[in-house]
Amino acid sequence: MDATADRDLILCARRGDSEAYGNLVNRHQTSVFNVCYRILHNRNDAEDLAQETFIRAFDRLHTFDIEREFKPWIHRIAANLCLNYLESHKPAFSLDEERDQDKTPGPGEQVEDKERSRQIRSALASLPPHYRLVVELRHYQDLSYDEIASELDIPLSAVKSHLFRARKLLAEKLHAPD
Amino acid sequence: MHLTDHISDVQLNEYLDNETANRAEIQVHLDSCDECAARLSAIQALFTELASLPEATLSRDLAAHFFPERKLPQLPRWLTLTAALQAAAALVALIVTLPFLPVILTQVELPSFTTIFGQFQNQWRAFLNAFSTFHLPELATLPIPVMEISTLLFALAAIFVLWIFGNGLLLRNRS
Repeated sequence: MDATADRDLILCARRGDSEAYGNLVNRHQTSVFNVCYRILHNRNDAEDLAQETFIRAFDRLHTFDIEREFKPWIHRIAANLCLNYLESHKPAFSLDEERDQDKTPGPGEQVEDKERSRQIRSALASLPPHYRLVVELRHYQDLSYDEIASELDIPLSAVKSHLFRARKLLAEKLHAPD
Repeated sequence: MHLTDHISDVQLNEYLDNETANRAEIQVHLDSCDECAARLSAIQALFTELASLPEATLSRDLAAHFFPERKLPQLPRWLTLTAALQAAAALVALIVTLPFLPVILTQVELPSFTTIFGQFQNQWRAFLNAFSTFHLPELATLPIPVMEISTLLFALAAIFVLWIFGNGLLLRNRS
């Protein structure tokens, strides 16, 4: 992803060019949607939250440090929005398994990959919201323990324990005998 | 940490996350302890599985929300109202005059095409003659150029047509 192009689009968007912001959304929408999808595990909710992320980001674009990369910034907005969403909709989440299923049956290996992906998403979905978020920030956004602590406003020890327990639960789910 | 002590799962997690201060010591222990190396491999396998999760695709374009809709320029209300009134008046006039039209047309002697063309040619020739005999006047005595009224009207009509055509082109490019 070309950071210079992102910067140019952000500068144009700050001047009120909504088409430039549309192009910026175009470049990052899939990755932002995937952040939401990994945390929420429901396609419709993930798409709605991804849309909400870009709307929030547009409102806060003047606060963005133009010398930094846009992608981590927008991913963190998405992750925080998803956590807030999970906390306010605790009982109502379901893995959208029907839509995860392979609609175009392929070779056996491809079906196996799909099945493993579904299992990983399912295991992630079974984690408590805070565990999901630390896994997202550590494994998919490559943040350090200190950065995660600062992002979630929790102690470093909590980051370590959340991550450790989340991984333990994931390993149990993924490697449990069927 | 003693080399003989086994490494805890927490330490192994920190080691894999590059978040441990005594990395070298852990590495030395892992080289000599199969049990700890096996536990490290198991955690590493989980990391690999998480990294293998493919990107899902969106079912709708989120960017579309931000692209401005291309709308046709809105004309002012007074202009549309005036145009509608003009059209209505023209229609009424046409309906009123329609029964009289055959009577009027029989009274009017319309010139033939050759007559019109001949007149046009004469006027054009007169226009060119006027130009060919035109000399820049002395600044001190600036006489009014002698020009037939028909020539002048013709020139004005030509300019008017050009002006309308030019404006049409400009408006077409803006819409």
